[in-house]
Amino acid sequence: MQAEISCHRVRKVFGKGATAFEAVTAATLSVEKGEFVCLLGPSGCGKSTLLMMIAGLEAVTEGTILAGGTPMIEPRAEIGIVFQDPTLLPWKTTLQNVLFPIEMMGRSRSAYVGRAMELLRLVHLDDAIHKRPRELSGGMRQRVSLCRALIADPSVLLMDEPFSALDAITRDDMNIVLLELWERYRKTVLFVTHSIREAVLLADRVLVMGRSPSQIIAEIKVPFPRPRDFAIGETAQFNELCAALRREIEIARGSEAATRH
Amino acid sequence: MVEERAPAIPSVRSVELSGLWSLLALSQGALVLPVATAFAFLIAWQAIAVYGHISPTILPPPTMVLEQLVDNFWLVLKHTIPTTYEMLLAFAISIPLGIALAGLMVYSKLAYQALYPNIVFFQLIPKIALAPLFIVWLGIGTSSRVTFSIFISFFPILVATAAGLQSVETTMLRLCRSLRMSQWQILIRVRFPTSPPFIFSGMKVAVTLAIIGIVVGEFIASQQGLGYLILFASSRQQTDLALACIAVLCVVGLALYGCVVACEKLVMRWYDTR
Repeated sequence: MQAEISCHRVRKVFGKGATAFEAVTAATLSVEKGEFVCLLGPSGCGKSTLLMMIAGLEAVTEGTILAGGTPMIEPRAEIGIVFQDPTLLPWKTTLQNVLFPIEMMGRSRSAYVGRAMELLRLVHLDDAIHKRPRELSGGMRQRVSLCRALIADPSVLLMDEPFSALDAITRDDMNIVLLELWERYRKTVLFVTHSIREAVLLADRVLVMGRSPSQIIAEIKVPFPRPRDFAIGETAQFNELCAALRREIEIARGSEAATRH
Repeated sequence: MVEERAPAIPSVRSVELSGLWSLLALSQGALVLPVATAFAFLIAWQAIAVYGHISPTILPPPTMVLEQLVDNFWLVLKHTIPTTYEMLLAFAISIPLGIALAGLMVYSKLAYQALYPNIVFFQLIPKIALAPLFIVWLGIGTSSRVTFSIFISFFPILVATAAGLQSVETTMLRLCRSLRMSQWQILIRVRFPTSPPFIFSGMKVAVTLAIIGIVVGEFIASQQGLGYLILFASSRQQTDLALACIAVLCVVGLALYGCVVACEKLVMRWYDTR
């Protein structure tokens, strides 16, 4: 079976000459169709840069990225993105924001209103469809952003630390909402995070990314059956997985971590 | 009993008083204080002018200015109309000019690099010094004054609009690119709708410059307008009439500025609740 996304020795260097900065050294990974993969790593390890390259928003310095079997050179309609910021247009209502990609793709807006309403109902925003972003809480805004990423029915969902700006309670709610959405649509998801528990709760497979050299250093399969909820967070197996991932991250951080503790 | 109740009475009063004070404080900030200050200033002026035995040519008292305004009402009005018309015309042209140029510069990097340094350089010239040349180029009619006024008033609109168009955040631009929007789509659908607060702040600066432009133009060459009348009155040492004209200019300027603020309020309400 062909991977939905595959990266082979992807390298990214920003700038040239003396000021050049290597953000990603050699990242190799693949995500199967319908798989939920979390990319976990310490801050500054280049995981977000890697995600932006997969999205076609950053040029690759070396290596190849294939999406659906063809080289990724520019953004595509079949890839939806959720950023850390909700990036909503403040003058548009919830519904208008969700339908914004449809408008910009030149598709018929009316054909997607039903789908937008369904998505908003799934994320419990049916009461807020005519509200503007400033009337919504941070969690609500990010849920709008999630619906917007799904509106054009993409095959892949790329998520760049989407919940890291939210408080812990809201973040838990968002994780549950995301799990429900995933159960419903079974998209291929690549989710960047620096929260170990979030990664284990959500993912089928967790990839750990290291820093200098910035590459994938470990892979851990998460065996919990789906649908999942927070109950699995109480199990010993869950905590063992988290501990194993923490050890990998400590290795990834290397000497820097040793001096800090 | 009386002694016990005694403290209760002032406390009730103090509540009433504090309510009164908060009311006063509210109006103080909004209207009472600035009006009272201006009034005190006028009274002081009147007192100095009258009791200081200062020649009315140097400092006519406010009542004399008011008298002039009443006596020459039709004359002043006759000169107010062309001045106001030219101000409005200049301002009305500088708005779309500034906005369109800002749009062009943000849309096209080439246009930005070609135009922006030159426009900034032009702004470094003391523009008032160029006013006589506009008369040379365009004659002594309305067109030279309006052109000069546009020349000095479009710049703040251009700069403010450009800042507004560029205030769109990087992640928002990334989202736009991920949706494969063209630069034109980004400009029209995202950058411009983000800009109204910036454009209005530029317009507030521009409206006062538009007024200065017209009055300076009238000083240099004109047979009509408040600038002309001020010059005429001054040359005949009719300081009171000159001050009357200046008072009318203030009122016109205030009205124009008020219109911009009202438009801003309206647009921002629409912007928030559309």
